[in-house]
Amino acid sequence: MGFSVVTHPRHSDDSAQGPAFRELVEPEIEVLLRVALTITNGAADAEDLVQETLLRAYRAIDRFDGRHPRAWLLTILRNTNANMHRRQRPGVIGDWELIRTARPAFGRPELPSAEDSFVHEELHADLDAAVRALDPRFRAALILVDVHDLSYSEAAAVMGVPVGTLMSRLSRARDRVRKALRSSPLTRGDLS
Amino acid sequence: MTGTLQQMLTCLWSARRIQRYLDADPAARLTPGEISRLEGHLATCEKCTRVAAEHRALHRALSLWSGGTGVDPRSVDRVRDFLAAIHDKDTA
Ligand SMILES: [Zn+2]
Repeated sequence: MGFSVVTHPRHSDDSAQGPAFRELVEPEIEVLLRVALTITNGAADAEDLVQETLLRAYRAIDRFDGRHPRAWLLTILRNTNANMHRRQRPGVIGDWELIRTARPAFGRPELPSAEDSFVHEELHADLDAAVRALDPRFRAALILVDVHDLSYSEAAAVMGVPVGTLMSRLSRARDRVRKALRSSPLTRGDLS
Repeated sequence: MTGTLQQMLTCLWSARRIQRYLDADPAARLTPGEISRLEGHLATCEKCTRVAAEHRALHRALSLWSGGTGVDPRSVDRVRDFLAAIHDKDTA
């Protein structure tokens, strides 16, 4: 790829800095907003968080090696969010504890209907409860991969863990949620 | 009896690979040999087929969780403008 960012690490002396940074960041704006939406209280907060993230990323660009920009930006997003909340409500919130699940969208017309007594409208509350009951580290893996569609490497970078660790957390999270839903009174009849 | 044990071992073998099979993530691909063995097993094992179906259904449910498309395009535009402004301010 060869980002000029890497070969021109100084902010002050280089007008190529801006466009390089923009090229790097622009394709990731939507993903950043999507992740931000789930860890903040609404669209306005999400935008603030992403803007603050971009500002910090811009200042830190000389420490970026040019690989995996999405993971890099998401890591900054996570840290920025943690810092912002520490400032507002000291000691109350830990970073991925903040994951706030957006309202599930069951019953939407595009939801495929096959194979899915398992994913039924009435399951909404059970799924919500099952995800909330997860250990935050497991929940983060599940949300980053299954909700936000990040790759293993991206999710691992966001969480600051090796890919193998991410995979095992993801697997445990999925198994727990799957089993919680299976034993739910709503679905027991359909699945056993 | 041997048949049952064999079946059990294959189910365990499959269970350990089902996530990588379904995700097909570039960081953790199964070999073509593993894929065909797993698909062969899924074709005959009801239990593992059901597990795979649950995984798919769960993934689909979670992928809809963000409220579908989610992000407002105007929000993307505003952030894009902000991005441009960072650059302009810095070089001004
Ligand atoms: Zn099996």
